[in-house]
Amino acid sequence: MKRTFALFILILSWCNVFSQEDSLRTTRYVMRSFLIGTGRANVLDTYLSPLEYKGPEVRVLFENMRMTRLMGGNVSAQHVFQADFSYTKNPAQTARMYTGMVSWTYALHYQFRLNERLKILAGPTLDLNGGCIYNNRNSNNPAQAKAYGSIGASGMVIYKMRIKDYPLTVRYQASLPLLGAMFSPEYGESYYEIFSLKHGGKHVSFTSLHNSPSLRQWLTLDFPIRQFNMRIGYVCDIQQAKVNNLKSHIYSHNFMIGFVRNFYILKGKNRISMPHNVTPY
Amino acid sequence: MIMKKTIYYLLLAVLATSCIREDISGNSPEDNFEALWKIIDEQYCFLEYKSQEYGLDWDEVHARYAERITSSMGSEALFEVLSEMVNELRDGHVNLSSSLATSQYREWFDAYPRNFSDSIQSNYLKKDYVNSSGLTYQILDNNIAYIYCSSFSDGIGDGNLDQTLNKLAICDGLIIDVRNNGGGNLTTAQKLAARFTDKKVLVGYMCHKTGPGHNDFSTPEAVYIEPSSGIRWQKKAVVLTNRRSYSATNDFVNSMKQFDDVVIVGDKTGGGSGLPFSSEIPNGWSIRFSASPMFDPDMGQLEFGIDPDVKVDMTSEDMQQGKDTMIETACRILKN
Repeated sequence: MKRTFALFILILSWCNVFSQEDSLRTTRYVMRSFLIGTGRANVLDTYLSPLEYKGPEVRVLFENMRMTRLMGGNVSAQHVFQADFSYTKNPAQTARMYTGMVSWTYALHYQFRLNERLKILAGPTLDLNGGCIYNNRNSNNPAQAKAYGSIGASGMVIYKMRIKDYPLTVRYQASLPLLGAMFSPEYGESYYEIFSLKHGGKHVSFTSLHNSPSLRQWLTLDFPIRQFNMRIGYVCDIQQAKVNNLKSHIYSHNFMIGFVRNFYILKGKNRISMPHNVTPY
Repeated sequence: MIMKKTIYYLLLAVLATSCIREDISGNSPEDNFEALWKIIDEQYCFLEYKSQEYGLDWDEVHARYAERITSSMGSEALFEVLSEMVNELRDGHVNLSSSLATSQYREWFDAYPRNFSDSIQSNYLKKDYVNSSGLTYQILDNNIAYIYCSSFSDGIGDGNLDQTLNKLAICDGLIIDVRNNGGGNLTTAQKLAARFTDKKVLVGYMCHKTGPGHNDFSTPEAVYIEPSSGIRWQKKAVVLTNRRSYSATNDFVNSMKQFDDVVIVGDKTGGGSGLPFSSEIPNGWSIRFSASPMFDPDMGQLEFGIDPDVKVDMTSEDMQQGKDTMIETACRILKN
């Protein structure tokens, strides 16, 4: 009995040591991707116009994902930086709006590894956004500044498969802001009052699903071509708000293409392949 | 179990997500009429004030003009009816713009004497006047400085103002003529006004709409003019006004009226105390309208103009002699 117990303790200790070493090592595996894409945008901001402006959009997306030591090494950290610019026109094609936005999202996902092919990830996110919409025709309300941030929930499904020995990885991710804050001038307030006269007002509003129901979704497919890991994807970015009696939305649909780099952080070893049980992706 | 719950709550949250859109659809004459009426109804800032002043009833305007809208009417006819509708607001800041034309309410100056003649003005400016950053100036024969400011649309440089006031410092008094100045940038008007005070002065209040209701306004906040750090005018000054002194010029006159050594001479200004915003209707026509009202230090309305301290009109006798009655009056005030 004593020998059995001693053996059990030994195995447990060994496993613990292994997992710590494994955890330490897994944090050095990084997946980075850079995507560029184009699509369509639908922009509404009732501070500028009650009409929806539509037109082309370009977007870049940089993603970085690696495992952490949290919860036994089962949590991955994801940084996503996006920048987009759209050139849109009103329905009658008589006025133009230029929209530029940047966003940074940090997410921690607990990884549920269901089998060798399928992973489901879920966890909290922090999302920060900033930008500007400019209308070329307006007088004292020519532009609207956009600045908002939130914490939310993110879910991801990663499925790895092979078609005739050709490896493919499909990923779907959705990110939903739940609680946050947003800058907005008041309903009929000019930026002249805010910045030149320095008048106060309710310029920061609490946001949640009731007044800012937004959703970001990505669908990507990874596939190797020679020594490169290519990625194609579709981004559906729905950003909406109704604060200070002003309605706004930016609906973006973009098709993206780029490449992925999986590497080990030690110098000179960035060609090391990532085993299934340690890879963040 | 945790995973199932997470997915459940995530899906629930996604289902709660709904579209935020503006309730505007269609591009028929009726749709454009309704869209324009709604923009004014929800965003125009003087509906209540004008209801008290001359009985404007925006709902009644809707009923009256809706009868003139038909689905078969052409763009030109629609523009005419919509222009007439927004002219009910009696506001020079309300303009409907299309490729056909831009509507304008002109009664605020057409129904009054012009009180300005550039040919008579040239008798005072002579041929050796100076132009500096949008200001035209001359030293008159009686050693009174005369500055004509035709617009606040372009910025006035601090260096130019320093040079101008420095050059005119030898004069006994200064006339600033803002007749026929239709406005421009408020910041430019305030920059010029800041040269005529040595202390921070309360010149009025400003507020804005906080919602679509006719009475949804923020608490009015004080507007001050702080003295410029550049060269400031230390002697008596007269501001000349007429009905075409409008918008940012109206604001300039209001600011100058609060200063100790400044006298407003001429005709009542044209008004236009609402900071204009722009919007548009489905057919792409743009509409400019007053969005944020400005008040004097006693919270009095300035929308229909500011009365001068000394009311003077150009007389036909003076005009026949090539004299500007207002400039002559200003000179007498400054010399006394």
